[in-house]
Amino acid sequence: MELDQLKYHLNQKLETAHLNKSAEDIAALLKKRTRSVVQKLKGSVRFELICALVFLFAMAYVAVTTRFWALKIYFGVFSILCAVFAVFLAYLLRRINQLGNTILPVKSNLERLQLIVKEFVKRYFQFSMALIPICFVFSVLLSHTEPIRIPQVEKMASRIFSAPWQLWIFLIGYMISLAIFVYFFTKWYLKKLYGNYLTELGKCISELEEQPA
Amino acid sequence: MPAEKDFIILLNQHQKIIHKVCNLYMDAAADREDLFQEITLQAWKAYGNFRGDAKFSTWLYRVALNTAITYFRKEKKKPEIFTSEHLPEDRQAETTDPVEEQVKALYAAIGDLSRIDKAIVMLYLEDYSYNEIGDMMGITANNVAVKMNRIKTKLREQTPKHMQTA
Repeated sequence: MELDQLKYHLNQKLETAHLNKSAEDIAALLKKRTRSVVQKLKGSVRFELICALVFLFAMAYVAVTTRFWALKIYFGVFSILCAVFAVFLAYLLRRINQLGNTILPVKSNLERLQLIVKEFVKRYFQFSMALIPICFVFSVLLSHTEPIRIPQVEKMASRIFSAPWQLWIFLIGYMISLAIFVYFFTKWYLKKLYGNYLTELGKCISELEEQPA
Repeated sequence: MPAEKDFIILLNQHQKIIHKVCNLYMDAAADREDLFQEITLQAWKAYGNFRGDAKFSTWLYRVALNTAITYFRKEKKKPEIFTSEHLPEDRQAETTDPVEEQVKALYAAIGDLSRIDKAIVMLYLEDYSYNEIGDMMGITANNVAVKMNRIKTKLREQTPKHMQTA
């Protein structure tokens, strides 16, 4: 027997296999929170926006109050970076909010969702990666312009490294290892959070895009 | 709030739509409950933009299918083979009725379809035209027809296999 022949029976099955919800049950459901990816994304963006604003004010405060020029520049630049990131997050949050309220055809809905998640993942990755060279350049530059001597560290370094070039090789090696670690960690973290979801969305879109032969 | 009251009345009248979508997309009762909640919340969030130029049932189908298709849960990594033990509890009982057996096998075969194909089958079962299905899915009516033919062929091949395993 075919789908058309069993259509009526199948419909009956699908319709009846449930307990009806009362109006009170539905009213109670409206007070709960959604667990959709959009909601998860909104939560992440909100949390990061708050973090960016907290860091922005904390860094700006240090930049204004410190008497060291090196620290002024360092924290000043990071305040600007946090402000840029906060503006981007606020824009993303607005776009996600718009997404939740309009009901589009399935394909358009999938494409819009994919675009937003992709954009978030891409910008988050770019921002994380941009911080690595900025941090390294500043740490080298500022330690040269306004070196702060810590006797315990100097004593330990002189015991391990007999020549300055050894220290430099160690520092360069450390920076490269850290950069590689951060690169792969961020990739893994974003893939774990949104990678599989993006793959599934992509599959659904490709399926809808298949042209009839 | 009058809007909330209206929404609850409308949803109460049309809740079978959400139940149907939940039954088709989720195997476990707990997952079906979760999906029901998610669809209800998404519908409530979007209700402010419902202008009444489409039928509420059509609009609700759109919300329900959009939600079900994009609702991926970690716990959803379940066995790919959809047997009668995955059917809702009230349908697991042994039956000697041949039509009932075939319906169960067909239901199991539909469970193996992709999320998109399930949505198309769901709308087809509701007697929507290919044009209407195309509008809801965002594809052409011609594409719907081709997909529906492929789905029917797939179900024709898969249903007997499920009759052996059921």
